[in-house]
Amino acid sequence: MCNFSGRLVAWMDRELSDNEAADVERHVRVCSECQGRVGAYGEVSRLFVTYCDAAAKGAKTRRKLPRWVPVLSSAVAVAVLLLTLRPASIEQIPVPTRAADASPAMVLETAPRPVKKVHRRQVTPVKTPQATWAFAEPFIQVAIPAEAMFPPGAVPEGLTYIADLSMASDGSIQGLRLQQ
Amino acid sequence: MSGDSLRLTLPFSCFAADSCEATNLYRELRKPLLRYLVCLGLSADEAQDAVQDAFLSLHRHLSTGGSQENIRSWLFRVAHNGARNRQQSYDRRFGKSLDPDLDSISGDATPEQIVLEKEKLRRLRKAMLSLTESERECLLLRAGGLRYREIGEVLEIPTSTVGDTVDRAIKKLAEKCDV
Repeated sequence: MCNFSGRLVAWMDRELSDNEAADVERHVRVCSECQGRVGAYGEVSRLFVTYCDAAAKGAKTRRKLPRWVPVLSSAVAVAVLLLTLRPASIEQIPVPTRAADASPAMVLETAPRPVKKVHRRQVTPVKTPQATWAFAEPFIQVAIPAEAMFPPGAVPEGLTYIADLSMASDGSIQGLRLQQ
Repeated sequence: MSGDSLRLTLPFSCFAADSCEATNLYRELRKPLLRYLVCLGLSADEAQDAVQDAFLSLHRHLSTGGSQENIRSWLFRVAHNGARNRQQSYDRRFGKSLDPDLDSISGDATPEQIVLEKEKLRRLRKAMLSLTESERECLLLRAGGLRYREIGEVLEIPTSTVGDTVDRAIKKLAEKCDV
Protein backbone atom coordinates (compact mmCIF):
# COMPACT_ATOMS: atom_id res chain seq x y z
CA MET A 1 0.00 0.00 0.00
CA CYS A 2 1.21 3.47 -0.82
CA ASN A 3 2.70 5.53 2.02
CA PHE A 4 0.43 8.43 1.18
CA SER A 5 -2.79 6.45 1.53
CA GLY A 6 -3.13 7.40 5.18
CA ARG A 7 -3.28 11.11 4.32
CA LEU A 8 -5.57 11.03 1.32
CA VAL A 9 -8.83 11.58 3.21
CA ALA A 10 -7.37 14.44 5.23
CA TRP A 11 -5.98 15.94 2.02
CA MET A 12 -9.40 15.71 0.38
CA ASP A 13 -10.94 17.39 3.43
CA ARG A 14 -8.32 20.18 3.26
CA GLU A 15 -7.14 19.35 6.74
CA LEU A 16 -3.43 19.15 5.95
CA SER A 17 -0.95 21.96 6.26
CA ASP A 18 0.08 23.70 3.05
CA ASN A 19 3.37 21.81 2.80
CA GLU A 20 1.79 18.42 3.44
CA ALA A 21 -1.02 19.14 1.01
CA ALA A 22 1.48 20.07 -1.68
CA ASP A 23 3.38 16.81 -1.13
CA VAL A 24 0.23 14.71 -1.38
CA GLU A 25 -0.95 16.59 -4.45
CA ARG A 26 2.33 15.98 -6.25
CA HIS A 27 2.18 12.32 -5.37
CA VAL A 28 -1.41 11.81 -6.46
CA ARG A 29 -0.62 13.25 -9.88
CA VAL A 30 1.79 10.42 -10.58
CA CYS A 31 0.30 7.54 -8.53
CA SER A 32 -2.55 5.75 -10.27
CA GLU A 33 -3.33 3.70 -7.13
CA CYS A 34 -3.87 6.84 -5.05
CA GLN A 35 -5.89 8.40 -7.86
CA GLY A 36 -8.21 5.42 -7.68
CA ARG A 37 -8.44 5.73 -3.91
CA VAL A 38 -9.20 9.42 -4.09
CA GLY A 39 -12.00 8.67 -6.55
CA ALA A 40 -13.41 5.94 -4.31
CA TYR A 41 -13.22 8.04 -1.14
CA GLY A 42 -14.88 10.94 -2.92
CA GLU A 43 -17.66 8.68 -4.14
CA VAL A 44 -18.21 7.25 -0.64
CA SER A 45 -18.31 10.74 0.83
CA ARG A 46 -20.86 11.85 -1.76
CA LEU A 47 -22.96 8.73 -1.16
CA PHE A 48 -22.85 9.31 2.59
CA VAL A 49 -24.23 12.83 2.23
CA THR A 50 -26.93 11.58 -0.14
CA TYR A 51 -27.76 8.84 2.34
CA CYS A 52 -28.10 11.36 5.19
CA ASP A 53 -30.40 13.52 3.07
CA ALA A 54 -32.53 10.50 2.21
CA ALA A 55 -32.62 9.48 5.88
CA ALA A 56 -33.80 12.95 6.88
CA LYS A 57 -36.53 12.80 4.24
CA GLY A 58 -37.41 9.29 5.35
CA ALA A 59 -37.87 10.50 8.91
CA LYS A 60 -40.30 13.15 7.72
CA THR A 61 -42.32 10.78 5.56
CA ARG A 62 -42.53 8.21 8.34
CA ARG A 63 -44.42 10.73 10.42
CA LYS A 64 -47.03 11.36 7.76
CA LEU A 65 -50.40 9.76 8.29
CA PRO A 66 -53.34 9.61 5.93
CA ARG A 67 -55.57 12.63 6.27
CA TRP A 68 -58.55 10.58 7.36
CA VAL A 69 -56.73 9.24 10.43
CA PRO A 70 -56.86 12.42 12.56
CA VAL A 71 -60.38 13.19 11.35
CA LEU A 72 -61.63 9.73 12.24
CA SER A 73 -59.79 9.79 15.56
CA SER A 74 -61.38 13.11 16.46
CA ALA A 75 -64.83 11.87 15.53
CA VAL A 76 -64.43 8.74 17.64
CA ALA A 77 -63.14 10.77 20.58
CA VAL A 78 -66.09 13.16 20.39
CA ALA A 79 -68.54 10.27 20.15
CA VAL A 80 -67.05 8.56 23.18
CA LEU A 81 -67.14 11.80 25.16
CA LEU A 82 -70.76 12.39 24.25
CA LEU A 83 -71.72 8.88 25.23
CA THR A 84 -69.92 8.94 28.56
CA LEU A 85 -70.46 12.48 29.75
CA ARG A 86 -74.04 13.08 28.65
CA PRO A 87 -76.24 10.50 30.39
CA ALA A 88 -79.27 12.77 29.96
CA SER A 89 -79.39 11.67 26.35
CA ILE A 90 -80.44 8.23 27.61
CA GLU A 91 -84.02 9.15 28.06
CA GLN A 92 -85.70 5.98 28.98
CA ILE A 93 -84.68 2.42 29.43
CA PRO A 94 -87.31 -0.29 29.53
CA VAL A 95 -87.25 -2.19 32.77
CA PRO A 96 -88.59 -5.68 33.38
CA THR A 97 -91.67 -5.63 35.54
CA ARG A 98 -90.53 -8.52 37.69
CA ALA A 99 -87.59 -8.29 39.96
CA ALA A 100 -86.46 -11.79 38.87
CA ASP A 101 -85.92 -10.53 35.31
CA ALA A 102 -83.65 -7.74 36.41
CA SER A 103 -80.01 -7.80 35.56
CA PRO A 104 -77.74 -9.14 38.30
CA ALA A 105 -75.87 -5.89 38.12
CA MET A 106 -78.95 -4.00 39.28
CA VAL A 107 -79.56 -3.87 43.01
CA LEU A 108 -82.95 -2.68 44.19
CA GLU A 109 -83.10 -0.79 47.41
CA THR A 110 -86.15 0.30 49.30
CA ALA A 111 -84.60 3.24 51.05
CA PRO A 112 -82.83 6.22 49.51
CA ARG A 113 -79.16 5.52 49.28
CA PRO A 114 -76.58 8.16 50.21
CA VAL A 115 -74.96 9.27 47.01
CA LYS A 116 -71.27 9.99 46.76
CA LYS A 117 -70.86 13.73 46.39
CA VAL A 118 -67.46 13.69 44.74
CA HIS A 119 -67.44 14.96 41.12
CA ARG A 120 -71.16 15.10 41.03
CA ARG A 121 -72.76 17.63 38.76
CA GLN A 122 -76.29 18.88 38.83
CA VAL A 123 -77.95 18.00 35.54
CA THR A 124 -81.24 19.49 34.53
CA PRO A 125 -83.58 16.78 33.26
CA VAL A 126 -84.31 17.09 29.56
CA LYS A 127 -87.95 16.99 28.62
CA THR A 128 -88.72 15.19 25.40
CA PRO A 129 -91.97 14.16 23.71
CA GLN A 130 -91.29 10.53 24.66
CA ALA A 131 -91.11 11.32 28.37
CA THR A 132 -94.82 11.71 28.91
CA TRP A 133 -94.87 10.29 32.41
CA ALA A 134 -94.05 12.56 35.30
CA PHE A 135 -91.83 11.82 38.26
CA ALA A 136 -92.90 12.30 41.79
CA GLU A 137 -90.60 12.19 44.76
CA PRO A 138 -87.94 9.53 44.33
CA PHE A 139 -89.00 6.37 46.10
CA ILE A 140 -86.44 3.94 44.90
CA GLN A 141 -82.90 4.39 43.72
CA VAL A 142 -81.16 1.84 41.59
CA ALA A 143 -77.38 1.69 41.81
CA ILE A 144 -75.87 0.46 38.57
CA PRO A 145 -72.11 0.00 38.54
CA ALA A 146 -70.59 1.98 35.70
CA GLU A 147 -68.52 -1.08 34.73
CA ALA A 148 -71.73 -2.87 33.87
CA MET A 149 -72.81 -0.17 31.44
CA PHE A 150 -69.60 0.99 29.80
CA PRO A 151 -66.27 -0.54 28.85
CA PRO A 152 -63.61 -0.42 31.57
CA GLY A 153 -61.97 2.97 31.75
CA ALA A 154 -64.65 4.72 29.67
CA VAL A 155 -66.24 6.37 32.69
CA PRO A 156 -64.18 8.62 34.95
CA GLU A 157 -63.70 7.34 38.44
CA GLY A 158 -66.19 8.71 40.93
CA LEU A 159 -68.99 9.22 38.40
CA THR A 160 -72.35 8.11 39.75
CA TYR A 161 -75.72 7.71 38.08
CA ILE A 162 -79.09 7.96 39.77
CA ALA A 163 -82.05 6.08 38.38
CA ASP A 164 -85.52 7.53 38.90
CA LEU A 165 -88.26 4.92 38.68
CA SER A 166 -91.86 5.52 37.74
CA MET A 167 -94.11 3.01 39.50
CA ALA A 168 -97.77 2.27 39.03
CA SER A 169 -100.21 1.86 41.88
CA ASP A 170 -99.88 -1.94 41.71
CA GLY A 171 -96.11 -1.67 42.21
CA SER A 172 -95.10 -2.41 38.66
CA ILE A 173 -92.33 -0.29 37.17
CA GLN A 174 -93.40 1.78 34.22
CA GLY A 175 -90.28 3.67 33.41
CA LEU A 176 -86.77 4.49 34.39
CA ARG A 177 -84.68 7.56 33.85
CA LEU A 178 -80.98 7.97 34.50
CA GLN A 179 -79.39 11.14 35.66
CA GLN A 180 -75.91 11.97 36.75
CA MET B 1 -42.93 22.63 16.36
CA SER B 2 -41.77 23.18 12.84
CA GLY B 3 -38.68 25.04 11.89
CA ASP B 4 -40.64 27.81 10.23
CA SER B 5 -42.55 28.56 13.39
CA LEU B 6 -39.27 28.58 15.28
CA ARG B 7 -38.15 31.42 13.09
CA LEU B 8 -41.21 33.39 14.07
CA THR B 9 -41.15 32.70 17.77
CA LEU B 10 -37.48 33.17 18.49
CA PRO B 11 -36.63 36.72 19.39
CA PHE B 12 -33.99 36.87 16.70
CA SER B 13 -33.66 40.21 15.06
CA CYS B 14 -30.82 42.27 13.77
CA PHE B 15 -31.19 45.02 16.33
CA ALA B 16 -28.14 43.66 18.07
CA ALA B 17 -25.02 42.18 16.60
CA ASP B 18 -25.37 39.03 18.70
CA SER B 19 -28.91 38.39 17.53
CA CYS B 20 -27.88 39.00 13.95
CA GLU B 21 -25.14 36.41 14.39
CA ALA B 22 -27.67 33.98 15.81
CA THR B 23 -30.00 34.57 12.88
CA ASN B 24 -27.24 33.91 10.39
CA LEU B 25 -26.25 30.77 12.23
CA TYR B 26 -29.83 29.63 12.25
CA ARG B 27 -30.11 30.04 8.50
CA GLU B 28 -26.82 28.30 7.93
CA LEU B 29 -26.98 25.44 10.38
CA ARG B 30 -30.62 24.53 10.93
CA LYS B 31 -30.76 21.98 8.12
CA PRO B 32 -27.36 20.41 8.82
CA LEU B 33 -28.31 20.15 12.48
CA LEU B 34 -31.64 18.53 11.67
CA ARG B 35 -29.99 16.07 9.33
CA TYR B 36 -27.35 15.24 11.89
CA LEU B 37 -29.87 14.60 14.66
CA VAL B 38 -32.13 12.51 12.45
CA CYS B 39 -29.15 10.44 11.36
CA LEU B 40 -28.25 9.95 15.02
CA GLY B 41 -31.59 8.26 15.47
CA LEU B 42 -34.03 10.97 16.56
CA SER B 43 -37.42 11.19 14.95
CA ALA B 44 -38.17 14.21 12.79
CA ASP B 45 -40.22 15.85 15.56
CA GLU B 46 -37.65 15.14 18.24
CA ALA B 47 -34.93 16.52 16.01
CA GLN B 48 -36.96 19.69 15.47
CA ASP B 49 -37.36 20.07 19.22
CA ALA B 50 -33.67 19.45 19.86
CA VAL B 51 -32.69 22.02 17.23
CA GLN B 52 -35.07 24.53 18.76
CA ASP B 53 -33.60 23.92 22.20
CA ALA B 54 -30.08 24.33 20.81
CA PHE B 55 -30.89 27.67 19.21
CA LEU B 56 -32.63 28.87 22.35
CA SER B 57 -29.49 27.99 24.28
CA LEU B 58 -27.46 29.85 21.68
CA HIS B 59 -29.65 32.91 22.08
CA ARG B 60 -29.24 32.84 25.85
CA HIS B 61 -25.52 32.23 25.47
CA LEU B 62 -25.04 35.22 23.20
CA SER B 63 -27.38 37.53 25.08
CA THR B 64 -25.49 36.90 28.32
CA GLY B 65 -22.22 37.81 26.70
CA GLY B 66 -21.00 34.30 25.99
CA SER B 67 -18.03 33.74 23.73
CA GLN B 68 -18.65 33.56 19.99
CA GLU B 69 -15.49 31.59 19.44
CA ASN B 70 -16.08 28.16 17.87
CA ILE B 71 -19.77 28.87 17.94
CA ARG B 72 -20.57 26.31 15.23
CA SER B 73 -19.06 23.46 17.20
CA TRP B 74 -20.66 24.86 20.36
CA LEU B 75 -24.08 24.68 18.71
CA PHE B 76 -23.51 21.15 17.41
CA ARG B 77 -22.29 20.05 20.82
CA VAL B 78 -25.40 21.42 22.52
CA ALA B 79 -27.63 19.70 19.96
CA HIS B 80 -25.62 16.50 20.24
CA ASN B 81 -25.88 16.43 24.03
CA GLY B 82 -29.57 17.27 23.81
CA ALA B 83 -30.08 14.37 21.44
CA ARG B 84 -28.25 12.03 23.80
CA ASN B 85 -30.39 13.16 26.71
CA ARG B 86 -33.55 12.64 24.73
CA GLN B 87 -32.44 9.20 23.71
CA GLN B 88 -31.69 8.26 27.29
CA SER B 89 -34.87 9.74 28.65
CA TYR B 90 -36.95 7.87 26.08
CA ASP B 91 -34.93 4.74 26.76
CA ARG B 92 -34.16 4.19 23.13
CA ARG B 93 -31.06 2.79 21.62
CA PHE B 94 -28.74 5.47 20.34
CA GLY B 95 -27.70 5.22 16.72
CA LYS B 96 -30.43 2.89 15.56
CA SER B 97 -30.45 1.86 11.94
CA LEU B 98 -31.73 4.52 9.62
CA ASP B 99 -34.54 4.12 7.19
CA PRO B 100 -33.73 6.41 4.28
CA ASP B 101 -36.38 7.40 1.80
CA LEU B 102 -34.70 6.02 -1.30
CA ASP B 103 -37.65 7.03 -3.45
CA SER B 104 -36.71 10.65 -2.87
CA ILE B 105 -33.62 10.17 -5.02
CA SER B 106 -34.40 11.44 -8.46
CA GLY B 107 -33.17 14.73 -9.86
CA ASP B 108 -32.08 14.84 -13.47
CA ALA B 109 -30.78 11.28 -13.49
CA THR B 110 -32.00 8.66 -15.93
CA PRO B 111 -33.97 5.67 -14.58
CA GLU B 112 -30.89 3.47 -14.96
CA GLN B 113 -28.79 5.92 -12.97
CA ILE B 114 -31.45 6.10 -10.27
CA VAL B 115 -31.50 2.32 -9.95
CA LEU B 116 -27.70 2.23 -9.70
CA GLU B 117 -27.71 5.00 -7.12
CA LYS B 118 -30.28 3.21 -5.00
CA GLU B 119 -28.26 0.04 -5.15
CA LYS B 120 -25.17 1.92 -4.01
CA LEU B 121 -27.10 3.44 -1.13
CA ARG B 122 -28.37 0.02 -0.08
CA ARG B 123 -24.81 -1.23 0.00
CA LEU B 124 -23.79 1.83 1.98
CA ARG B 125 -26.56 1.21 4.49
CA LYS B 126 -25.28 -2.32 4.95
CA ALA B 127 -21.70 -1.10 5.22
CA MET B 128 -22.63 1.47 7.86
CA LEU B 129 -23.53 -1.34 10.22
CA SER B 130 -19.82 -2.13 10.43
CA LEU B 131 -18.99 1.37 11.71
CA THR B 132 -18.52 2.09 15.37
CA GLU B 133 -20.62 4.79 17.01
CA SER B 134 -17.64 7.15 17.06
CA GLU B 135 -16.92 6.57 13.38
CA ARG B 136 -20.53 7.16 12.45
CA GLU B 137 -20.72 10.36 14.48
CA CYS B 138 -17.49 11.68 12.97
CA LEU B 139 -18.76 11.02 9.46
CA LEU B 140 -22.11 12.62 10.22
CA LEU B 141 -20.49 15.77 11.56
CA ARG B 142 -18.11 15.82 8.60
CA ALA B 143 -21.10 15.55 6.27
CA GLY B 144 -22.56 18.52 8.15
CA GLY B 145 -19.61 20.62 7.03
CA LEU B 146 -17.62 20.68 10.26
CA ARG B 147 -13.83 20.72 10.25
CA TYR B 148 -11.88 18.10 12.15
CA ARG B 149 -11.16 20.58 14.93
CA GLU B 150 -14.86 21.33 15.30
CA ILE B 151 -15.76 17.64 15.26
CA GLY B 152 -13.25 17.10 18.03
CA GLU B 153 -14.87 19.86 20.07
CA VAL B 154 -18.33 18.40 19.59
CA LEU B 155 -17.32 14.88 20.51
CA GLU B 156 -14.68 16.03 22.99
CA ILE B 157 -11.86 14.05 21.40
CA PRO B 158 -8.51 15.25 20.00
CA THR B 159 -8.36 16.51 16.42
CA SER B 160 -5.79 13.87 15.49
CA THR B 161 -8.21 11.19 16.69
CA VAL B 162 -10.90 12.67 14.49
CA GLY B 163 -8.59 12.46 11.48
CA ASP B 164 -7.74 8.83 12.18
CA THR B 165 -11.38 7.96 12.80
CA VAL B 166 -12.63 9.61 9.62
CA ASP B 167 -9.86 8.01 7.58
CA ARG B 168 -10.66 4.57 9.01
CA ALA B 169 -14.40 4.97 8.50
CA ILE B 170 -14.10 6.14 4.90
CA LYS B 171 -11.81 3.25 4.05
CA LYS B 172 -14.21 0.80 5.67
CA LEU B 173 -17.13 2.11 3.69
CA ALA B 174 -15.17 2.18 0.43
CA GLU B 175 -14.11 -1.40 0.93
CA LYS B 176 -17.59 -2.66 1.90
CA CYS B 177 -19.38 -0.70 -0.79
CA ASP B 178 -16.86 -1.78 -3.41
CA VAL B 179 -16.78 1.60 -5.12
